[in-house]
Formats: sequence, C-alpha cells, structure tokens
Amino acid sequence: MLRPLRYAEKKEELLAEMDYYGVAEAIVYHARQKDDSPVLGNDILIRTIKDAPRLHGVFAILPLQTGELGSLDEILSRMRENGIRAFRAFPSEHKYLMTKTSLSSLYELMCDRKIPLFISINESCGGISGWYLIEKILSDAPELTLIVTEHGSWGQDRYFRPLVEKYENLYLDTSRYELDGGIRDFCRKYGADRLLFGTGFPNWNPGGPILTLLHADISSKEREAIASGNLERILGRVRL
Amino acid sequence: MSLMVKEKKADASDLIREFLEKGRSESCPVIDMHAHLGPYQGIYFPNPSAEDMVRTMDRCGVRLVVSSSHAALIDTRENIRMEEIVRLHPKRFRAYWVINPNYPERIGEEIETFSKSKGFVGFKFLSDYHRQPLTSPRYENALEYADEHKLLVLMHTWGRSTFDSPSHVEQLAGKYSEAILLMGHSGYGEWEKAIQVARNYDNVYLELTAAYAVNGVIEWMVEEAGSEKILFGTDLPWFDPHYGIGCVIFSRIEDEDRHNILHRNAERLLASFLSS
Repeated sequence: MLRPLRYAEKKEELLAEMDYYGVAEAIVYHARQKDDSPVLGNDILIRTIKDAPRLHGVFAILPLQTGELGSLDEILSRMRENGIRAFRAFPSEHKYLMTKTSLSSLYELMCDRKIPLFISINESCGGISGWYLIEKILSDAPELTLIVTEHGSWGQDRYFRPLVEKYENLYLDTSRYELDGGIRDFCRKYGADRLLFGTGFPNWNPGGPILTLLHADISSKEREAIASGNLERILGRVRL
Repeated sequence: MSLMVKEKKADASDLIREFLEKGRSESCPVIDMHAHLGPYQGIYFPNPSAEDMVRTMDRCGVRLVVSSSHAALIDTRENIRMEEIVRLHPKRFRAYWVINPNYPERIGEEIETFSKSKGFVGFKFLSDYHRQPLTSPRYENALEYADEHKLLVLMHTWGRSTFDSPSHVEQLAGKYSEAILLMGHSGYGEWEKAIQVARNYDNVYLELTAAYAVNGVIEWMVEEAGSEKILFGTDLPWFDPHYGIGCVIFSRIEDEDRHNILHRNAERLLASFLSS
C-alpha cells in the first residue's frame, strides 16, 4: 500500500482538511476499499464516516457471481441503512472485467435506480484502459451515470469529447482538468452540467482545482453547477 | 475525494484571500519560468497564441513568462521566432533557445545566432523527448556557453529517467557552476533526490510545473531545500496558471515562501535579462 505525502487518516482530519479549503461536503471512499478487499473496505468506510453528514460514501463493486458482496437486495439494503448513494469501481486492484458478462445485473441496477458509478481514468482491466475502457463500459450500459475522475492533465479533450457527445450520462470531474481555458471551452460547447468539481485528495493538491474553478471564465450559475449543483442533482435522483 | 464546494475559506492568509477574491495579487506578480507557445502534437489548446497567453496571464496575475516555442522543440530553426514575440510583448515574454542534441552539427551555429539575438535568457533541454542524456557530449557546447555567460538552462527532468533524472543534473551542477540549472518538473516522482540536488548545489533550482499538483510535495521542498530554491512554472499554454498558483498558495507554508516561489526568486535570476 502506497503512502501519500499528505493524507487524512481519521474523519476528523478529513473534515479539518475540508475546512481549510472551504469545502462543505465530499464524496469519499476509504483507501482500504481500493487497496484491501472491498468487502472489508466497504465496512471500514461505513464505520469511518458514521455520524459525519458532510461525508458521502461510495461502495466498491465486484462481480456478484462470487457472492462476496451478497445479492442485489442485500447490497441495496446496506446502502439504504448507511446512506450510500453511489458505487466506485477499482478493476485494476480487484481483478475483474468490466464487461456485460461480469457486471450486467449491477449495470441494470445502476441504470434502473440512477445510481452513479465513479471510476478513475487510471483504472484498467483485461488489457483495456483509459478512455477505451470508459467507452467499453458505456457501450455496454449506455444509460449508466458514469463519473470519470482524475482524467489527466496532459490534454485529454480529444479522447473524451466524442464520448461526451455520444453518452449523455457521462460526467467528468475537474480534479486534474488543468488545461488553460479548458473549463470555459468545455462549458461553451457542452454547458456546465457535465462537469463535477473534484480534488483527488489526498493524492492531489486541492488548491489547484479550487482556484481554477473559482476564476474560470464562466458564469456564476455555471460555477455553482460544477461546484455542487450537478452532484446534488445526480445524487438527488438516486432511488434505493 | 469528489467535493461539493459551497463556501470560500475565510480564515486564510492575506495572500490566499487576495487570490481567492480577485484571482490575482498586486503584491505577488507571478513569474512563470516554464512556458511554451503555439499548438503542439498531443494536446488540444484553447489558448495557444501569444495574445491568448497574455489574456490568460492578465486573468491570473502572471506578470511574465519565459517560453520556448513548441515548434522549436520539434525543429530548432523555429527558435528565432521567439525574438519577435519578445519584441512584441517586451514586458510579458522572455525566451529560452531550444537545443536539440540530435542535430549536433547545428548547435555551434545556433549558439552564434543566440548570442546575437535579443530576448533570450538561456537554453531549453528536452532530453526525455530528444532521447539523449543530459550528460551527453552533445550538450557540452551549450552548457559551456551558459556557464561562461551565467545563463539559465531549463532542463526537462523526470524521476528515474535514463535521460534527465535529478542524478543527471547532479553530474552537471558542479562542472557548470556558473550556469543556472532549472530542474523542470523538479525531477517528477524522484522528489527526494531532486530536493537533495537543489539543496547541495547553489546553481540548481526546483521548477514546479506539474509537480505542484502532488499534494504535500511543495511543503517537502520548502522544508528540505528552502523556498529560495523553488521556481514557479506552468507549461502555459498547457496548464491554467490558477491551477499551479492554487497549489502553491494553499500549501502549508508561509506567505514569504509563497512570494519567493511565485515571483521573488525569478526576479532575482532574471534581473540582468529584464534590465537590458
């Protein structure tokens, strides 16, 4: 398990970090959900963010065929009990394929109940990675609300713009959208509804995406949508 | 962590508060020591021209950039065009002259042209892309000239690279002690070695392009190498200066350190080039 240079081990430390940056609420996963068994990790997340209404957890997914996460009904029940309204996929670490064969029932659940799936652009499985993996997921589940995080600082618009145009429930976080004029240019072409503010904390310095969004050459309404409105809308339509 | 921002931080330092409120600071006119110009192969730029860049600089409170043109990274015969950019924007641009070691027969003549040109502060090496190590004899003419004339040399550096790691810079630092060696990207990923080299050699600096995004690395650099050895850069027109500035100002360092990184160190290194 790698150790970030700076991190928050307890929820109090994470909340203090959020206070420092002026961040009200956050979607979070626990490092153990990624680096350890997701079965253990999901439990650790629940315990860690208990009684912290500013923190909104996500469950790591696995193919249901191994039975590790229980049945769909059991997963939904745990989500309702613990206020979980989103999933996250770590196929690189958890060694499964993001195909219909592996995930069709979970994809159907997510589409029917509008549950968003988060995935980092750095994930890969079965020799597929990056935007090719994203296109694979969306071609298998076109109605899926898919939120791609950390999409990279080295100029990715040529990769993701065709997908944004084809799949209306594809969203991008801004944690590494560093391109000069990128947010403004994206909003002028596609509107502000497809971008979600993110930091990638603890790996990335939240100050960058914060100052970039605060002074992007976009309207206040667009800025508010990216900062919070879009995510609130996505989470608000989840039916558990 | 994905976040929902609903409030601006209120109990920040004066500098943080000024950047948050205005997007720029009168007392902290940023100097970007690692910029480019024009379109490039692997990326879409909304703002690639000099005029675009000046608009971005105005928006972000960047006083001056030091650029090598993207075209010159590919074909060094394009270097001379930067002289015209500096002439058109004398208060906003200075330039690096790109050395491509794959065309060693051109380098002598290029240094001769460089010596007669205006607006340049030194050389730019892009060894990872040109696939020649910084320690190659093909760089020696340029390094000797930079050493003799106390010029800046911006070197792309990357951790554990076989061409331009911090260890390569270490091998040059003592030999060319009068040249100012800027470790572009601060030897990304090989932080401990890069910091050590910057600390051990007066003429070696850490340059922050891309590195600033790594949470905690700026604090580490300030603690171990000192903020006097750190320079700000963005690869503009690649990265929004606000991204890098945000990383610097929100790092857990003092305002004096932020001033050193964002402009004071660069002002000191560029003083002779800005007065002429």
